[in-house]
Amino acid sequence: MSVVDERLNALRGAAPRKPHNARTLAALAANPGCRRRTLLDAAGIDKGQIAEGLGVRISIGQMSSIAIARGKGFEAKVKADGCAELLRLLREHIGLPVPEVHYHDLNPADADDRITSRLRRSQRALQASAESNEPTGTLFDHPILQLTVNGVQVRIEPDLIAFKLGNQFFIVEIKSFAILDGTADSGKVAAAAQQSAVYVLAMREMLQTAGLDPAMVSDQVVLVCPKDFSNHPVAELLDVRKQLATLKRQLDRMESVESLLRLLPPDLSFDPRLDAAGRPTRDPQELAAAIFQVTARYSPECLGACELGGVCRAEVSGMVPVLGRVVREDLGGIDSIKEAVELATGLREPDAGQQQAADLLRRAYGMREAALGAVR
Amino acid sequence: MPETMDELEERISLLRGHIRQALAAGDRAAVPRLRAELRTAELSWDSALLESDDSVPAPSPSGTLPAGMSLFPVREQVHQVLTVLGVAAAPRLIVATHEALFAGGLIATKLASLRRDEERSFRAAPYSRPYYVCAALAADQLVAVRGLLAISTWPLDRRIMGPLSPRVDFLTAAIRLVRHLQTTGELGPQSIRLLWPFTNNIPGASGPAEEFEPSRLIAAAQAELRIHEESDRQQREAAAERARRLSDAEQLFGGEQLKAVRSVTKR
Repeated sequence: MSVVDERLNALRGAAPRKPHNARTLAALAANPGCRRRTLLDAAGIDKGQIAEGLGVRISIGQMSSIAIARGKGFEAKVKADGCAELLRLLREHIGLPVPEVHYHDLNPADADDRITSRLRRSQRALQASAESNEPTGTLFDHPILQLTVNGVQVRIEPDLIAFKLGNQFFIVEIKSFAILDGTADSGKVAAAAQQSAVYVLAMREMLQTAGLDPAMVSDQVVLVCPKDFSNHPVAELLDVRKQLATLKRQLDRMESVESLLRLLPPDLSFDPRLDAAGRPTRDPQELAAAIFQVTARYSPECLGACELGGVCRAEVSGMVPVLGRVVREDLGGIDSIKEAVELATGLREPDAGQQQAADLLRRAYGMREAALGAVR
Repeated sequence: MPETMDELEERISLLRGHIRQALAAGDRAAVPRLRAELRTAELSWDSALLESDDSVPAPSPSGTLPAGMSLFPVREQVHQVLTVLGVAAAPRLIVATHEALFAGGLIATKLASLRRDEERSFRAAPYSRPYYVCAALAADQLVAVRGLLAISTWPLDRRIMGPLSPRVDFLTAAIRLVRHLQTTGELGPQSIRLLWPFTNNIPGASGPAEEFEPSRLIAAAQAELRIHEESDRQQREAAAERARRLSDAEQLFGGEQLKAVRSVTKR
């Protein structure tokens, strides 16, 4: 175990590990500057428990059991009878030749099938089919992929990967939201594209490590959804080049966990000290003091993507970041809203770094006064 | 009728009183028996009422099963369906086929525990039944494939699932189903609905016309089957050869997954 892993385990304490998934990776990439999220996610800390320990619980991405059952039911239907429906869709959309129907089940074989052995099986199967000249693998059901995110190995599990011999791997994402008359909820499609981009990147990384051509993974992903109000699957090709570029840039920009750890005291721990019932028992002030040693980068979007959103919002209450990213960028160098108001009204003299923002604020304040004066 | 309406009413109220008393006294064990007696008394009261008044329509006699319910036990019903299909199948297909071909009334949830029950029975007294509903085996690890049911009397290679086998079995099932329906002359709307996933998902199976053509489905399935058949057979036979080294129970219900770490720690 490396030094980094040891430190991360110490940060997590006795609480159970909560691994990354494609959704959390996409959310992390959306706010790469947040050291707090980077560190907590890397250590596999359950942010929901921390938030609960601090008394600001927000639940993120928790689907109702009915929605989950529907999603699973639809996926089972698409993959039923030897992926019959899926094969038809793939033959239509990516021109899969008829002889290529090989199916590899990479789901856990039983309850204690370890993820590392599934990862090995998946890598073997995918690489063998990439190297072979004959069709040996076409459909890979729930393989495990691995992605390195700032020095930490993250394992993710796409719904299915399809391989067209002599051509390309396609990530297949099965979602249970409907495509109505050829259009679907744009937010959900965007989320699916983000998530698929993570899979594409992981698959490319795997091929590259194996000395194969990463371009074998298509930057188009196959999205399978129910058609209209039926349970009948249809497929669409999604271009994820843009998401892929964003993801890659942001993962590169992310500070390495190792350098973050160097800034922190060695005895720091975020363990919420769960009791037998899974409730945090650690003193909230002590926990808050520990959490606030790592800086966050709050923006209002966090409330929809991070369990700690409420905590970070309370922390920066009265400060400029609460107003959103655009305002924060416009008011660079100014920390609190009070300071900004004083600069605008001329109660405070700007220092060297604040001159530009102060000019902007004064002009805006002048315009506001003029507009209101006309009304008064 | 052995009892008059008055006697029955008295008995019903008496039984109700007993149930209440039993509950109050905490004697829960007696309650089910009393409830059953109450139920019988109430039913007799109902039929006595019908005899006295002909205008009330008679409900269906409670002793018989609802229409279309098979009298066979679940494992017999599954055996029937699997014999028609001739390949290992998932509960969903088994239930749908049973509904279209036989009396219906097979419920998917009942199939969930069937394989486990059969395995328990086999391990307790091997080969005491003429056949067992057993598992299909994954060609690579020789473990039971999730959610597939098969019959123990089939040749072992038919129960092996290689990479091509899901598709081969799908096509085989299509051909066998159509043939079965043709011989029994039951190509009605219900069986066409059963065949719809096959017609829809086999290239060339659905004609230009909306009408369903059995011969076209068979021809299309056979055409695709010819492409996969040979290599699938080789893979299945090779895996079956390996599987014969397993114990009898493991051949039927799947071997243990290889777990190097665990066996070392257990030693």
